[in-house]
Amino acid sequence: MDALARIPQLLVYGIVSGSILSLGGIGVSLTYRILGFSNFAHGDTMALGAYLTLALLPVAARLGIPGGALSPLSFGWDFAASLLLAIAATSLAIALLDRLFFRRLRNANRVTLMISTIGIALALRNLLQFIWGPQPHYYSTAIQRAVLIPRLGIRIKPDQIFIVAIAVALALLLHLFLRYTKMGKAMRATSDNTSLARVTGIDTERVILWTWVIGASLAAIAGVLTGLENKFITPELGWQMLLSIFAAVILGGIGNPYGAIVGGLVVGISEEVSTAFISTGYKPAVAFAILILMLLIRPTGLLGRRR
Amino acid sequence: MELFVGIVNYLVFFAITAGTYGVLSLGLNLQWGYTGLFNIGVAGFYAVGAYTAALISGPPPDVWDGRLVGGFELPFVIGLLAAAVVAGAVAFLIGLPTLRLRADYLAIATIGIAETIRLVLKNEAWLTNGVWGLQQIPSPLHEPIHHGAIGFVRARPDLAPWLGDLISKAYNWFYLVLVAVVLVVLYLVMRRLARSPWGRVLRAIREDEDVAAMSGKNVFAYKLQALVLGAMIMGIGGALYAHYARFISPNSFEPLYGTFIVWVMLILGGTGNNKGAILGAFTVWGIWAATDFITGYLPFTAPQAAALRIIVIGLLLEVIILVRPQGLLPEIKSRRAARDRPKDTGEAESPPP
Amino acid sequence: MSLLTIERVVSGYADMEVLHGVDLAVDVGEIVTIIGPNGAGKSTLMKTIFGLLKPKAGRITFDDTDITGRSPDRVVRRGLAYVPQVENVFPSLTIQENLEMGAFILRGNLRDRLRRVYELFPVLGVRQKARVGKMSGGERQMVAMGRALMLDPRLLMLDEPSAALAPNLTATIFDRIAAINEAGVTILIVEQNAKESLKLSDRGCVFAAGLKCFEDSGPALLANEDIGRLYLGG
Repeated sequence: MDALARIPQLLVYGIVSGSILSLGGIGVSLTYRILGFSNFAHGDTMALGAYLTLALLPVAARLGIPGGALSPLSFGWDFAASLLLAIAATSLAIALLDRLFFRRLRNANRVTLMISTIGIALALRNLLQFIWGPQPHYYSTAIQRAVLIPRLGIRIKPDQIFIVAIAVALALLLHLFLRYTKMGKAMRATSDNTSLARVTGIDTERVILWTWVIGASLAAIAGVLTGLENKFITPELGWQMLLSIFAAVILGGIGNPYGAIVGGLVVGISEEVSTAFISTGYKPAVAFAILILMLLIRPTGLLGRRR
Repeated sequence: MELFVGIVNYLVFFAITAGTYGVLSLGLNLQWGYTGLFNIGVAGFYAVGAYTAALISGPPPDVWDGRLVGGFELPFVIGLLAAAVVAGAVAFLIGLPTLRLRADYLAIATIGIAETIRLVLKNEAWLTNGVWGLQQIPSPLHEPIHHGAIGFVRARPDLAPWLGDLISKAYNWFYLVLVAVVLVVLYLVMRRLARSPWGRVLRAIREDEDVAAMSGKNVFAYKLQALVLGAMIMGIGGALYAHYARFISPNSFEPLYGTFIVWVMLILGGTGNNKGAILGAFTVWGIWAATDFITGYLPFTAPQAAALRIIVIGLLLEVIILVRPQGLLPEIKSRRAARDRPKDTGEAESPPP
Repeated sequence: MSLLTIERVVSGYADMEVLHGVDLAVDVGEIVTIIGPNGAGKSTLMKTIFGLLKPKAGRITFDDTDITGRSPDRVVRRGLAYVPQVENVFPSLTIQENLEMGAFILRGNLRDRLRRVYELFPVLGVRQKARVGKMSGGERQMVAMGRALMLDPRLLMLDEPSAALAPNLTATIFDRIAAINEAGVTILIVEQNAKESLKLSDRGCVFAAGLKCFEDSGPALLANEDIGRLYLGG
């Protein structure tokens, strides 16, 4: 009985963590759809964004952006500015990676590409550890008070509301971008048929660049939100979430960014609600169980189509 | 002279570890090199093999232990066989639902499985003693050889110290021979399989599953056999590791050491080539050991040095993929085109019907 | 005056040479049809011209510019357009979006261009916002051709435009092709079902085994009994 009573609160936690998973998953789906392989370095891209945001705070201060938390949130304008700088830096890093490395492998075997992303993930993660060390870095040490919503019997912190709001806003922006802008349509076209896109005159290299930039930007934001939610970050942050992100992406249909959003929420909620019934030690296995179930029953995902 | 002995002792230790990785590489070569199964869960089979051998041959749980079962103190060989069988059984159970999946899905599934195995090892203390691990795993013939060697040296006080030092490490030499024997046997078995009709079917499946299926072969059955056999080999590797290290815990089988490094070894050595698998194991382990020396001389903290070494391995992999994806010893059949077959982008690289 | 000149082009795929030295010239304002059996290299030629395949030898000149081996997006900018035989539309995009993609390299307003395409293919104008993936073969073919016309190409290459179309639709398609040509576009067609195509062609070329083996005016080829028996289904 006690377990059931905790579900509404766990649902809230699930929506928060699910929002973060969604943002992470969109990039994976887009990369898969347009470039044709699964990018296992996406989690560590999230971590990169999270660390860069911390590192660039002094730069924001130097630019004269005012510090101090914007109550009731735990951060201020300088943090927001730093985040924007970090997004730019992360996108630049990933774009460079494509230019130097992936571009030479456009026609390579997809499994070779996936293995290479594992290597990049490892190197990136350890680069973060090399620079910042394995110990946690704190986003904020202040305890944030949760707001109680008596009607629903749940507590939620202002930061958490912010996380969900940002995720919704970004999802909407992405939708508008894909639907109504020329580059968005070109991305959809390229993901339908890369060869035809080239024949049509679409600059597929530019489409690929945009894909990486959008994916990396969303990943950086997801990483920062993880830091906000957990209060601290470690180099392992991204890799630990990778299985959940892939579960979300496959659940929603790999290659479909909208599916990643749905999948993220489902996985997030499942993971949190599961702790009411099974030991927390097995929480990572929940994502995996969802994954296996989807792969066995409907590999194309809930929103996927047959490729 | 003492330095020489020190180096020799180190090399023996190095060769034992590299040889164990060679066994793992051979197993992966069977799964990925021959059959094209994208198994990122090497660490899982490796761990299952190690734990099985430890539980079969190790001592029963004592007061300090969290365990309730296990520790039958059976001979080494039985532990070795059990490790192979159990690893194979786990592979069978895993393979049944997942082998019909496409490469990327299989990869993700195997990552998840290795993670789950590790979670079980961590959480189910009644079987595995959880995070505290299994201790006092006996090494085969340790008593007679090691104490015999020590006794031999003690009985001869006139023996030169360096010689005494060398002889007292006799057990390591024995274990090295053991690992070498296992490695050679497995290599010969793999070579035999490669040339057999069975091996040819595996390669056909790797190149083009649909074509293989059309010639009447039960593709799924072959894939399952390859997965299971490869896992059994990895299980043997795990047993070799357990009996040498004498202590194992879930952390010994982290994805980095258990899985990723084996992939780098196979790719660098030469996917699809058994000699390449072994060569890759020794080469990469050598590079890994070298980075240990080098970073020792650089002014970094321990976590920094550790991170730097891993970055080197990661970069090594990327360089290989860019520059020589077929590895040092390419597959014997000249199928390089198949290794880097162009993606199917609709841009027909093969003639239209 | 020759708009497109192909000289001794050798081309093929990774392990197989398909074209063994092809010569072909297409003059401004012409409709030229290439006919021949399967495997003769007709599609391969189109792909080679458009840069989807790199020729192993030979030269391709368009409007006095060497375009041998240039990538497709460069070729498009020169004024050629290509409609592949299969998978020639973007299924998850609407009709209008497909057409817009045709003009990707342009900035500015596409209203006039879209209007002209809808005039040519009124059926498309009715369902502009519909997803192409669900449409019939005939409609898709029209979308594909419309997409190719968005850049006002000087040369339009069509790979088996009537493949998998019902006969009445075939007539419509070829009627539209004639209209396009009348508007000043040179057209190069590859066809298996060649009767309809040869009827409106100025010239026809017969390809077999990777070489051009025969060439004559369209009507003459149609009248030629041997050709008719071998390649036009009696």
